[in-house]
Amino acid sequence: MTALYVHIPFCKRKCNYCDFVSYAGKEALIDAYVNALVRELGTKELGTGGPETIFFGGGTPTLLEPRHFEQIIKTVAAVFRPPSRNGDLKVAATSEITIEANPGTADKAKLKALRALGINRLSIGVQSFNDRHLTMLGRVHDSATAKRFYQDARAAGFENINLDLIFALPGQTLAEWKADLRQALELDPEHLSVYNLQIEEGTPFAGKFTKADEEVELAMYEAAIDTLTAAGYKHYEISNFAKPGRECQHNLVYWRNGNYLGVGAGAHSHVNGQRWSNPNCLEEYLSRVASHELRVSDPETRDPRPETIFLGLRLLDGLAQEHFNGFEREVKELIADGLLTADGSNYKLTRKGLYLGNLVFAKFV
Amino acid sequence: MLSKIRNFCIIAHIDHGKSTLADRLLEFTKTIEKRDMRAQVLDTMDLERERGITIKAQAIRMEYNGYVLNLIDTPGHVDFSYEVSRSLAACEGALLLVDATQGIEAQTLANYHLALHSNLTIIPIINKIDLPGAEVEMAKNELVHTLGFRADEILLASAKEGRGIAEIIDAVIARVPPPQGDPDAPLQALIFDSHYDSFRGVIVYLRIVNGTLNKGDKIRLMGTGKEFEALEIGTLRLDLIPRDTLAAGEVGYLIGNIKNIADAHVGDTVTRTKSPAPAALPGYQPIKPMVFCGFYPINGEDYELLKESIEKLQLNDAALFYEPETSTALGFGYRCGFLGLLHLEITQQRLTREFNIGLIATTPNVVYQVNLTNKKVLLIDNPTKLPDLSQIESIEEPYLKVSIFTPADYVGAVMTLANDKRGTFLNLEYLDPKRAVITYELPLAEVIIEFHDLLKSVTRGYASMDYEQVGYRTSDLVKLDILINQEPVDALSFIVHRDRAYYYGKKMTERLVKEIPQHQFSVPVQAAIGGKIIARETIKAKRKDVLAKCYGGDITRKRKLLEKQKEGKKKMKLIGRVEIPQEAFLAVLRLDQ
Repeated sequence: MTALYVHIPFCKRKCNYCDFVSYAGKEALIDAYVNALVRELGTKELGTGGPETIFFGGGTPTLLEPRHFEQIIKTVAAVFRPPSRNGDLKVAATSEITIEANPGTADKAKLKALRALGINRLSIGVQSFNDRHLTMLGRVHDSATAKRFYQDARAAGFENINLDLIFALPGQTLAEWKADLRQALELDPEHLSVYNLQIEEGTPFAGKFTKADEEVELAMYEAAIDTLTAAGYKHYEISNFAKPGRECQHNLVYWRNGNYLGVGAGAHSHVNGQRWSNPNCLEEYLSRVASHELRVSDPETRDPRPETIFLGLRLLDGLAQEHFNGFEREVKELIADGLLTADGSNYKLTRKGLYLGNLVFAKFV
Repeated sequence: MLSKIRNFCIIAHIDHGKSTLADRLLEFTKTIEKRDMRAQVLDTMDLERERGITIKAQAIRMEYNGYVLNLIDTPGHVDFSYEVSRSLAACEGALLLVDATQGIEAQTLANYHLALHSNLTIIPIINKIDLPGAEVEMAKNELVHTLGFRADEILLASAKEGRGIAEIIDAVIARVPPPQGDPDAPLQALIFDSHYDSFRGVIVYLRIVNGTLNKGDKIRLMGTGKEFEALEIGTLRLDLIPRDTLAAGEVGYLIGNIKNIADAHVGDTVTRTKSPAPAALPGYQPIKPMVFCGFYPINGEDYELLKESIEKLQLNDAALFYEPETSTALGFGYRCGFLGLLHLEITQQRLTREFNIGLIATTPNVVYQVNLTNKKVLLIDNPTKLPDLSQIESIEEPYLKVSIFTPADYVGAVMTLANDKRGTFLNLEYLDPKRAVITYELPLAEVIIEFHDLLKSVTRGYASMDYEQVGYRTSDLVKLDILINQEPVDALSFIVHRDRAYYYGKKMTERLVKEIPQHQFSVPVQAAIGGKIIARETIKAKRKDVLAKCYGGDITRKRKLLEKQKEGKKKMKLIGRVEIPQEAFLAVLRLDQ
């Protein structure tokens, strides 16, 4: 198994733009949930060797206690290894263990304890450094808390930190967005994810706001690319920037259409060409694990090429040309339109193609 | 036996309750048991149910107290006025149904006049008296003062609640005269409807006017001259009930191995090959389509499917005219002719729904008469066929006399609209202090383009209209061409009055900019007359369209999103490098929305 994703669907409150599987006010179920995760992991036949990466995503994983992570990591170590060598907390083959965190949801001691468990990458949901915007987004923290949290994480020994930022917020100006970028760079993280806000159906934002003007979105996106690359970050995926060698190894597995196992409510898996997912509903997940009836969605096996291409092209280095066999006509059109270009043995998006990625991707599905 | 037969129909404005009353009559006479009732039995097509109109007439025989009551249904839309007139000609009586909440409407009056013209005995009925908004006295007054009925002739009913039904049946028997006709005379039977059955061929609905039709008779259709054998004849219940003879005064059906519905056209006369009638019954008219448009498959591969589907529709719709045509922009398709805009829309929907064809319908147009400088005359049913201006002496277009019924408050608005649409005022008459009839002559071309919708909108839905053709008039007409990304799109060309060309050019370009999605390059949309650009708009280039987030949990969802995006493209027609959605080709119909 290449990558393991563990979903933690708990939040202090639900953000106004969020359509992920996460629940506010259900923290009482955390112990039961971790037990269920452990149980689910136990049912997996994972082979030996261990995952190269583990990602605790949410929700807000830092709402859990260090002992919960200990329990999970121990189980991972056990199921991936022969029983005789069981007991080592660290998963030897695993080079990257990421945990997502929201500012203010863990103190220095908790961060330290997490680091001690072998968790070596922290992804902080900062989203904005503008308190007015943070309130509008429905975030639980302010800008100062985010900065303090970042410093605490550094002090706790995290040497690989990502910050999430969102742009094209309702009413946000380009100057405000540039200020967010500047403040992020002042913190000097190893990695930055910058996302254009998507207004998702069923969220409080959906009824309230419409998508920002395209020209505004484009200007903000360009500002991010220009500012961050000038500061020494490599723009390696549509929304992701990293210092050299600090690309997120776990997410690279997704974009390379690799194998990953997802556990927990709503988690998705992709193993040897099959995709499936767990039930989204927390209670349903719990009861099904308890009764040994964790029925996931029926595995889907489909032509992997469209996914390989549209995921692979998200990476700025592109994708080996051999993956485009059978799409010669599409490739030719896209090159003629200036959206795609050959680069060595790869095809990759041009700058224009980067802005119009969906037009490119849609050609291959 | 003739004395025991009553042939009648129900005439009414749309939604005044015709189908519901028919249902009650069938129930009351126990023609159908209540438990077998599907609401509104006489409307069989889904589209009819949806739109609340009856498209194809049918008939049903009821038996009550020793009487045979043949109810002949009539199409309820002005597009089908010829079919209505033939159904009426098969009857001796008509129930004139008026909605107590609406009073007399345009089609009430139009149908009333048709019924009078056919010498029918008319029984006025005020329906929907159960509704809270019912104004029975108002409706009564209109019937008395506008149509000249006596107050004591008027029946009151609520078809929905089954009130007044016995009185209606009694009135049919007492007031409608029995049919006249000589069973021993040479056969004359009026075709008032026909439909195609995939198992049995064409089923002809007819009223025997004179003579007797026997099973096995060799017959001739006097209009088309085609001959057939009466393989099966009979009467109409919910099913076909075979009989050996149908005599003068009776209503029934005939099956004769007729393969093509155009051979058994409504209004034609059936006679016997041996000792035929000396003359056909009066009133027969060959079909004359009034409105034309092009139908093109979005995907070229669907051309065969389109062909087969139109053929199938035509089996049951003799009024549907079609012939192959080619468009530079759209490729191979069909030019189709219709009785009116409703007929067009219904056909388009049936092709899309029943045959699942991605279809582009081009802007509807009328038939223009082009007088050339060389004194020849051309009839043009497609704007692209308009010859070069230098060869044209003059162009004539069909005109209608349009009667519009409106509450008095909206008289001004209606007149402004009619004037805008190049109308010539004829008359304004008040039915009562609150309601008026305004009569205009209007070019058919203006009436088929959004006139009805605009009329409804300026009168808050209260106005109704009816029309009749009044022939051709010379107009100063020009062809307006539309260029998308510098290429002329022939399917978007249309003919307009010169004074209105700038207005339409501007509106069209504005509309198309809304209908055509953004591309990665900017797309100019221009309107031109004879090569001269008169309006221009630009569809801005798409600048950013990319999924910000795509991680392990998103992949299936994102793939579906991309597939949907691609599916959407399949519903568009690629012209040059520009993808144009179906709706854009009907943009001219939606200029004011």
